[in-house]
Amino acid sequence: MHHTVMDHLSMQDTFLHRLDARSKLIAVVVFTIVVISLRRTGVGIIAVSAVGPFAMLLVGRVPLKLAALQIGCLCPFIMIIAISSAFYDRSVVTIAFGAYELNTTQGAIGAVAIFARFAVTMMAIIALSATTRLSDLLAAFSSLGLPKILVMQIGLLYRYIFLIIDRACHMLGARAGRKLRYLGLRRELSTSAAMIASLFATSTQTAQRVSDAMMARGFDGTIRSLKKSTFSIADTVFLAAVCAYMALLLAVKGVI
Amino acid sequence: MAPVISINGFSYRYPDGTDGLYDISLDIAGGEKIALIGPNGSGKSTLLLAMGAFLHGHGSIVVDGVEANKKNAKQIRRAVGSVLQNPDEQLFMPTLLEDVAFGPLNMGLGDEEVLRRSMDALGIVGLDGMKHKAPHHLSAGQKRSAAIATILSMNPKIITMDEPDTSLDPRNRNNLTSLLKSLKQTLIIATCNIPFAAALCKRAVLIDSGKIIADGPVEEIITDEKLMQSHGLETAAIPESIDF
Amino acid sequence: MHMPNEILSLPVAGGSFAIAAVGLGTLCRVASRTISSEKASLMGIFGAFIFAAQMLNLPLPFPPGASGHLTGAVLLAIVLGPAAASVVMTSVIIIQCLVFQDGGLLALGCNIINLAIVPSFAGHTIYHLIAGARKTKFRIYAASIIACIAATILSAALVSIETAISGVIAVPFVTFLAFMSGVHFVIGIFEGVITASVLAYIYRARGDLINGVAGGSPRLSKAAFIVTLAGATIIIAVSISLVASAKPDGLEWSLQQSTAVSSESIETSTPGPANGWTSLAAVAGSALTMIVIWLVSKIFANRGGGKCITP
Ligand SMILES: Nc1ncnc2c1ncn2[C@@H]1O[C@H](COP(=O)(O)OP(=O)(O)O)[C@@H](O)[C@H]1O
Ligand SMILES: [Mg+2]
Repeated sequence: MHHTVMDHLSMQDTFLHRLDARSKLIAVVVFTIVVISLRRTGVGIIAVSAVGPFAMLLVGRVPLKLAALQIGCLCPFIMIIAISSAFYDRSVVTIAFGAYELNTTQGAIGAVAIFARFAVTMMAIIALSATTRLSDLLAAFSSLGLPKILVMQIGLLYRYIFLIIDRACHMLGARAGRKLRYLGLRRELSTSAAMIASLFATSTQTAQRVSDAMMARGFDGTIRSLKKSTFSIADTVFLAAVCAYMALLLAVKGVI
Repeated sequence: MAPVISINGFSYRYPDGTDGLYDISLDIAGGEKIALIGPNGSGKSTLLLAMGAFLHGHGSIVVDGVEANKKNAKQIRRAVGSVLQNPDEQLFMPTLLEDVAFGPLNMGLGDEEVLRRSMDALGIVGLDGMKHKAPHHLSAGQKRSAAIATILSMNPKIITMDEPDTSLDPRNRNNLTSLLKSLKQTLIIATCNIPFAAALCKRAVLIDSGKIIADGPVEEIITDEKLMQSHGLETAAIPESIDF
Repeated sequence: MHMPNEILSLPVAGGSFAIAAVGLGTLCRVASRTISSEKASLMGIFGAFIFAAQMLNLPLPFPPGASGHLTGAVLLAIVLGPAAASVVMTSVIIIQCLVFQDGGLLALGCNIINLAIVPSFAGHTIYHLIAGARKTKFRIYAASIIACIAATILSAALVSIETAISGVIAVPFVTFLAFMSGVHFVIGIFEGVITASVLAYIYRARGDLINGVAGGSPRLSKAAFIVTLAGATIIIAVSISLVASAKPDGLEWSLQQSTAVSSESIETSTPGPANGWTSLAAVAGSALTMIVIWLVSKIFANRGGGKCITP
C-alpha cells in the first residue's frame, strides 16, 4: 500500500528530512502557487520549474520510479480534461524550439502545459510527503492555526488506518479464500455490504476503547500539546534557496 | 492500614442484559500486587473498568477514599491508571513521546515537568531512545511497554493492567515481569496466565461468571487442582525465580 | 472526484480555501459540541474506517473490468450527523492529499467543499427527509439512493462551476456539467445502493450501534435543513446562470470562443518563433542542472547508503 511506502520513506535521515515541516510545507505551497499562476506556458519554463522538485526528490532519497508511478496512477482524470480541452480550442499557433518551428493549436499547447504542471506539482508534493513524517506535518498544521480538533482527528485517522486497513485486508483475504468466481452483482453487493457493516461495528468498538484510553488519561475535551520548535539555520538556508528559485522562475517567465 | 481500594457488594449488568459482575466485595491494601485470574469472559476486564470509573453499577467502589461514581470520574482516574488490554488502543497519538505526554498534559502540568515525567517513564520501560517513533513502528513487546509508560508518566497510586502478558514471547514476558516487579505502585493485574501471575503476585483473586470464587495467597489458589480445573484454568508450581 | 491544482485559477483556489476554512472552523465547533469528549476518538477512527471501506472494491458487471467503491460521505452523515461527517471527510481528504497525493494542495479548499461539506449536508438532510421515523427496508433504500444521487450531482455541479469560473480549461461549462453529472448520476446510484445495504445491515444486526455511536440517533435538525437548502439553491442558481450565459448551441459557442481567445492569447502569452532560442537555453540549462544534481546525489548515496534512522 502506498501509505506504508511513504511512511517508510519519511523515516529516512537526509538534509530534507531534518528540515522543519513548516518550511517544507510553505516551500511546496509557494512553489505550487507560482507554477499554477504560469498560465499558458512554453517548454522552457516547465523545464526550469521541474528542477526544484526533482532536486528535492533526489536530496530526500525518494525513488524517482515511485514518483513516476504515482504520477502515472493519478493522471487519467487530468489527461481526459486536458485532451478534451485541446479539442475545444483549435486556433493555430506557431511554436519554436531552437531552430525548429511547429504549427500546432492553442488547445494542444494548453493541454501539454496542464499536464506538465500537474507532473511538476505532483513531484513537489511527493517530495514533501516522502520526506516529512505525518506527525511533524500535524505539528506544523497546529502551529499554523488549523483547528486542534481537526489536527487530532487527522492524527487518529492516520494512526488507525494501519490497523483498520489490516482488518479489511484480512476480511478480503477470507472472502477471496471462500469464493472462486464472480457471484453476480446482488450477491457481491450484499457480501460487500456485510463486510463494510462489520468493519463499521469493529470500528465503533475500537473508537469506544480508544476513547476510554483517552479518558483514563484525564482527557476532558481540551486538546493540549507540547510546544516544540525545531526551526534551524538549515531551514533559513532552505527557505532562502526556495526564494531565489521562485525569483528565477518568475524571471524566466518574464523572458519566455 | 486502610485499603486503597474497597469494593462492597458491587454488581454490574451490561446494557444488553449480560451479567458482568455480581456482588463483588474486595479490599486491596496500598502497595499490594494482586493477580485477578479467571477464564475468558469471567468478568476480569469488567471489574478493572469499574475500578477506573468507566462503568457504574450497584454497590460501592471506594478508591483512595473517593466514591467511584460519574461525578468523581476524573479524580478516580488520577489515582487509578488503567492499562487497557490492547496496546494499539492505548497508543493513539502520532509519536511515542506525545503519547506518554498525553496524560501529564491533561493533568495541567507545565511543559518542562511533562517532558521530564515522560522521559522518566520511557526510561523505566527502556524506550527512551524511541521517543519520536510512531506506535505502528513498534514491536508487540515494545507496544506493551509503551502502553505501560503512558500510565507511569501520570504517576498514579494504583495501576490496573488487563492481560498485559498476551502476545508476548517468553523473553518479553520475562522483561515485563521484572519491570512490573520493580514498580512501587499498587498493581492489579488481570490474567489467565497462571505462571505469570505466580511469578509476580503474592495474592490472587479467582473470579468466574462475574463472582469472586476464591481470594487468598497465590500459592494456595493456583495449586488447588480441583478449584483451578473446575474454572477452566491450569495449575502451576510456584516458581523459585522468574523463569518460564 | 478529487480536483487537481491545475484546472483551478488562483483566485478560485484562494476563495474556496477561505470559504472552506470558515465553514470548517464552525463545523469543528459544532462537531465537538455534539460528540462528547467521551467519544473523542470517534471521528478519527471513522476516518480510518472510511479509508478501509474505500478499499473494498466491488466488481461491476458493466463495463467489463470496472469496479467501484463506497466513498462514504453520505453514510457517515446519516450516522454521525452533517457536522461530524464533514470533519471526518475533511481529514480523509487531507490525508488523501498529503499521503496519497490524490487531489491538489491548492485544490484542498475546493475538495473540502465538494467532497466533505456539501455531500454531508445534502446526504444527511435528504436521507432523513425521505426515510422519516419508520425505517422500512424500502424507505432506507429509496432515501439512501436519492440522497446519494443528489449529493454526488451537487458535488459534480460544484466541480463544474469551479472549473468554469477558473477558466483554465477550454471545455464549455454546459458540456462539462453534462458530462460530470452524467458520470456522477451513475456513481450516485452505486453509492446509494451500497450505503443502503450497509445501513440496512447495521439497523438489522446492530441497531444498538446507530444509537450508541453519536450519543443518540441523529435526526434532521432545522439548521442542517436550512444550510442544505441555502447551499443547494446557490449551486443550482449559479449553474443555471452559467448555462444561461453560454450560447444555447455548445459547439457554436466553443468555436466562437476559441476564435476570440486566439486573437488575444497569441500576443500575450504564447511562445512565438522569436524566443525559440530562449526556450532551448532554458531546457538545456535545466536538463544540465538536473543531471548534475542526479550525479551528485548518486555519489552521496553510494557514500552514505540509504539507511533508515531510529531517532
Ligand atoms: N460491551 C459489552 N456488552 C455486553 N456484554 C459484555 C460487554 N463486554 C463484556 N461483556 C460480557 O461480560 C462478561 C465478562 O466479560 P469480560 O469482563 O470482558 O471478561 P474477561 O475480561 O474476564 O475475559 C462476558 O460474558 C462478556 O460477554
Ligand atoms: Mg478481558
